Amino acid sequence: MTGFTRRKMLTGAAAAAAGAVGSANLTTQTAAQTTAADDADRKLFVALSAGLTGIDKERLSPTVDPIQIDREYFKQAKTDPAFDGLMQIIRADPSNPEAAAGKVLFNSDPNIMYLGRSIILMWYLGAWYEPKTLQKFNSSPPRPPYPPDQIISPAAYTQGWTWRVAQTHPMGYSELLFGYWSNEPPKLEAFIRKLS
Amino acid sequence: MCAERMPNPDVLIVGSGIAGALIAWQLGRKGRKVLILEAGEALPPDINDYMKTFLAAKDKVPESPYPPALFGATGLTNPRTVNAGRPTVLSLLPKGGFGDWTDPKQAYLIQKGPRAFGSTYQRINGGTVRHWLGTSLRFVPSDFEMKSRFNRFVDWPIKYRDLERWYGDAEKYIGVSADVADQNYLGINFSSNYPMPKIPLSLVDMEVEKAMPNLKVADVGLDDLKWKVSSTPAARNSQPYQARRVCAGNTNCIPICPIQAKYDPSVTLAFALRTGNVDVSYKTVASKVYVDGNGRVSGIDFIRYDKDDGDPVERGRLTAKLYILAGNAIETPRLLLMSKSEQTPNGVANRRDDKGSVGKYLMDHPLYLAWALTDKPVWGYRGPLSTAGIEVCRDGRFRRERGAFRIEIGNEGWNFPIQDPDTTTVDFVNGLNGSGLNKDSKPLFGTGLTCALNEKLSRQFRLGFLVEQSPDDTNRVTVPDQVPDELKDHLGLTRPHITYDLSEYTKRGMAAAKTTASAIFKSMNAEEFTTEPKADDPITFEWPPGQTTRIKYFGAGHIAGTHRMGERSENSVVDSLQRSHDHENLYLVGSGSFPTIATANPTLTLAALCLRTADHIINKVLK
Repeated sequence: MTGFTRRKMLTGAAAAAAGAVGSANLTTQTAAQTTAADDADRKLFVALSAGLTGIDKERLSPTVDPIQIDREYFKQAKTDPAFDGLMQIIRADPSNPEAAAGKVLFNSDPNIMYLGRSIILMWYLGAWYEPKTLQKFNSSPPRPPYPPDQIISPAAYTQGWTWRVAQTHPMGYSELLFGYWSNEPPKLEAFIRKLS
Repeated sequence: MCAERMPNPDVLIVGSGIAGALIAWQLGRKGRKVLILEAGEALPPDINDYMKTFLAAKDKVPESPYPPALFGATGLTNPRTVNAGRPTVLSLLPKGGFGDWTDPKQAYLIQKGPRAFGSTYQRINGGTVRHWLGTSLRFVPSDFEMKSRFNRFVDWPIKYRDLERWYGDAEKYIGVSADVADQNYLGINFSSNYPMPKIPLSLVDMEVEKAMPNLKVADVGLDDLKWKVSSTPAARNSQPYQARRVCAGNTNCIPICPIQAKYDPSVTLAFALRTGNVDVSYKTVASKVYVDGNGRVSGIDFIRYDKDDGDPVERGRLTAKLYILAGNAIETPRLLLMSKSEQTPNGVANRRDDKGSVGKYLMDHPLYLAWALTDKPVWGYRGPLSTAGIEVCRDGRFRRERGAFRIEIGNEGWNFPIQDPDTTTVDFVNGLNGSGLNKDSKPLFGTGLTCALNEKLSRQFRLGFLVEQSPDDTNRVTVPDQVPDELKDHLGLTRPHITYDLSEYTKRGMAAAKTTASAIFKSMNAEEFTTEPKADDPITFEWPPGQTTRIKYFGAGHIAGTHRMGERSENSVVDSLQRSHDHENLYLVGSGSFPTIATANPTLTLAALCLRTADHIINKVLK
């Protein structure tokens, strides 16, 4: 985030010097740089998410993806104050998301640890549990159900991974055909492992 | 505006649920002019908005897709601010917090206790059958003869054979999938075939079925039973029918089928409107029924609004030759009891002395819910919410002593019991054990998480026992003459007041259900996880009597009995054709006419009763 901030400041100074004539081009360039940086961070976020969730990253963010739920989740996660600290862990070793996930979830900073859990639940349930809510649950376990702080979006509900892990579809969102329930589902791997 | 839409209708119907819609369609087909007053929102061109609301809802309860909004800025919508309010399961929670069942700012029904009435309903186009399961069982012959056969309660003024042909018509009109060969138990016979083949069994059903030969249930009157799993007749398409799609197993019949493979009354309403003889005035609340000096109903007052929480935009009175109240078994008696006048000092259809029965004998199927893990995967959360049940226990000599029950096998894992898969997922991610499945309360992630969740979720299943409730005159809907404003709706009408309890007969039925559930789980080698309810839970009772242990009963949404049929007005409100004993041009239709509730889900039976009533009106009254 430091680099991003510096780029933003430098661009701002250059734009002021260039005056009104050049400002449109510079703004476009800034947006492109910002987008590129953001995209790189989002990809790291997805990689870390794969380690956290146990779901292959290509499943979480397919190459061809009209839904692009990862963008919604990335945007939601960024709103948390501990996000930058969480991302530094995966940046330090982007080649090993499983290890990074472990460092997040066993972090000495509870803000990072609970944000990691919030991110897992976001992928699994399409819902956002504030890290503070999860922390509160642990200090004083409520009787279920545990209502989330918010549903990310209608699309997010339909993309919840807990359904696929149960080898099924979200309730209310079947893409299957009549009678499928009389037969065994495909194996778990077919739902969550790397696409061949 | 209402009168202009359909001037001088032959029939005025209050309520566009399945009862009102079916009768309107039958009358419209035969050229009778019908105007329906519907308290809630209009029939939409499709269900997309309802689906979006459902998908975005944090609490995916039966009411969640439908207006009015469940939540306001600070919590549950205050029913005082809504023109056509309705109850929600979210306001059945302990006193003192969110969803307090006794708080009129959160709960639409004014619950007077001693226990909470657990069922809810919709006031919207299509009524409560918008969010039904689709189960379309016939009653068994004994259900109509409780007094004669078991010396309990009352007989119906009709028998199974009187309703048999109307059952067949109802199955055709709403579109039921089933096979006669699976349904002719306990004396049920058929003179017609179902219009569609049965819905296939789920893997969960098959696993329960395997345990039936070895099942023994002692001490509840079921010792010698030959246990059997039966496919459940369902108003859910197994073939394209009525221009609707085949079921795709969305596992979401309640609250909403996203493809309308499950029947809902919007289908019948569309047929009714297509006759050109039926019209509906939406957002139009019937507020008072008038009776003239000859004892005939002379008109119904209405209040129309535009916004759910807005002021009325029109008031007036409508007249017709014949009047049909088809609200539900709470809203219909509410309207009758609100309609006090010099002619009707106790309310309409409620006699002039103190022997009237309007609002009394409120019933439901108190539902005992039990859940377990099988010893191998059965892959729940797939298929329709339920595809089979155990029906052979619906009748027997034990009905002299306790309520009977049927058993519904659920295909939705532990969604009903603990709102899974969400709860178990949170447990395993956050190191909790509310589900009982994460015994070490250990947080997991990565592959360990996927494996643990898959291993647990794929073995979940539940059983629901629909218990026969006794008709008790102390269980009732009332409408006091004077109440503070906070007990009214936004139109200034007093909300329904409910007094409710479970009799010993009903409780013994619930206790037998509990015993049977545990025996089934044992026979399946399944591990039971049914939890003990807390003492402050308003839908529980102590059992055994005098002990601190409790049994929880859920509402089944099967509201019945408050304008029951019978031969005399001393102990009933309508005759076998659902015509008021007191007013010959007034009909009160729906499950409110049931003298006893039996064990089958009530919709098919109330549909059959309504078709019989429509036939009578067409051929005998409005010839």
